[in-house]
Amino acid sequence: MSHAKTPHVVDARYMEPPEPFVATMEMLDTLKEGEKMLLLLFREPHPLYKVLRQNGHDYETELLPDGTFEILISR
Amino acid sequence: MQAMLAFENAPPLAAPLRFFLTAPLFAVLAGLLVAFEGPDIFASRWTPGALAATHLITIGFMLQVMLGALIQILPVVAGANLKRPLAVARSVNIGLSVGVLLLAAGLLSGMPTLLGSAALILALTVLLFLVVTIMALIGVPTTSPTIRGIKFALFSLAVVVGLGVVLALGLAYGWPLPLMALADLHAGWGLGGWAGVLLAAMAYVVVPMFQLTPGYPARPSWWFPVFMLLMLLLWSAGLLADWPLLPPLAQLGAALAGITFAGQTLRLQGMRRRARPDATYRYWQLGLVASIFALFLLSTVAVWPAAADIDGWALAFGVLLMAGGFLPFIAGMLYKIVPFLSWMHLQNSGQAKVPAPAMNKILSEPEMHRQMLAYAAALALLLAAIFFPTWLARPAGLAFAVANGWLWWNLARAIRRYRGHLADIEVALAAKLATP
Repeated sequence: MSHAKTPHVVDARYMEPPEPFVATMEMLDTLKEGEKMLLLLFREPHPLYKVLRQNGHDYETELLPDGTFEILISR
Repeated sequence: MQAMLAFENAPPLAAPLRFFLTAPLFAVLAGLLVAFEGPDIFASRWTPGALAATHLITIGFMLQVMLGALIQILPVVAGANLKRPLAVARSVNIGLSVGVLLLAAGLLSGMPTLLGSAALILALTVLLFLVVTIMALIGVPTTSPTIRGIKFALFSLAVVVGLGVVLALGLAYGWPLPLMALADLHAGWGLGGWAGVLLAAMAYVVVPMFQLTPGYPARPSWWFPVFMLLMLLLWSAGLLADWPLLPPLAQLGAALAGITFAGQTLRLQGMRRRARPDATYRYWQLGLVASIFALFLLSTVAVWPAAADIDGWALAFGVLLMAGGFLPFIAGMLYKIVPFLSWMHLQNSGQAKVPAPAMNKILSEPEMHRQMLAYAAALALLLAAIFFPTWLARPAGLAFAVANGWLWWNLARAIRRYRGHLADIEVALAAKLATP
């Protein structure tokens, strides 16, 4: 799955916890320096945010009208 | 390693569990009270027995689970970490339990000392919770409808408890207050502003997450808490300014907002990707349908006030909304949260070396399903007892006590299994670490 913001996308909207977390971490590991990935979820993943901050990743979140949170994460 | 880091956010399992394990016992007590009082309790919503049973349900069951769940879930849904969660959980759990017992005894007996001490203990307990929670939420930006809902709900909690204290003291010491109108407002802030808005805030997260439905559309989700609060403020202003047209209008607005939210949730559940309906799904369906009926009764009274005088109308509203709506929502969530938290803690204690057992090993679907059927039967009996109290009041109370005792048994059984698995995992882990 690709997206206008980045080709690296985890669409976790219909995944059960903790799959979204695991899938995001796995994709982050495959990214090269400077690349970004996008996580799609129907909620804000605050525990993931904390891990991202601890590991030095930047992220930006946007809530779309259909209730999807788009979280753009930098490697 | 990454998963371990995420796990550090979670408060100890014991913090929410003590609430989850005490709450059903108060619902059992409410059922036993109905069985003991018999048909008289159904004479009106103002009988001492009905008031006591209502508060055993709203404070003893609903508030216990809601505060316990918030302690657990605030870090997850808002990134807000409470200071000393175990100590707060212990104090709040004990305060609510003692407070609600005193309140029920005070309402039954009318003794001023009981009512006064209940008001003091409950007010201090909720104040403690609010202070700790607000401190955790300071600096947390409102980035989602869920965070807005939680913040607005906490404001309503302060109002409902404040009104409750005034009512308890007014009742105890015979203050010249419009007790009935104030009690309605107290119920409005409690069921609409606190429980209703908190439920919606949680539903935005847990319905898509656990039932694999689409998300709630953003715009109505942002507006729901604002609209509910606005209606309750209008209702309060109408009462204060003695403008009799405002309260029914505000009630109608709040009821329609609730019906819209429930309808939206039913629509989302219809689009779920989990093929097989589970106990949570069925409990929520029951809760949504019963709430829609209850709110329909409320809207009818708003446009046609004489309906409130029809025998059983107010009682049917209360039973449908609380025993039919909120309790099933809460039981449905407990059946997801308790196995999930247990599994998460087991998964973590295995340190990625020993796998955790599947969630259905903690609590199986048939075990939950049978309890849910018993609850649905008890609810049907309670509703029928409103119209045939002589025959059905006592069986309905007993059935309600049994169904909630069964809920307690299921939850306690899940915790026992969790502890068993935890011991097994620790042994297996020690063995793995010992072998080079």
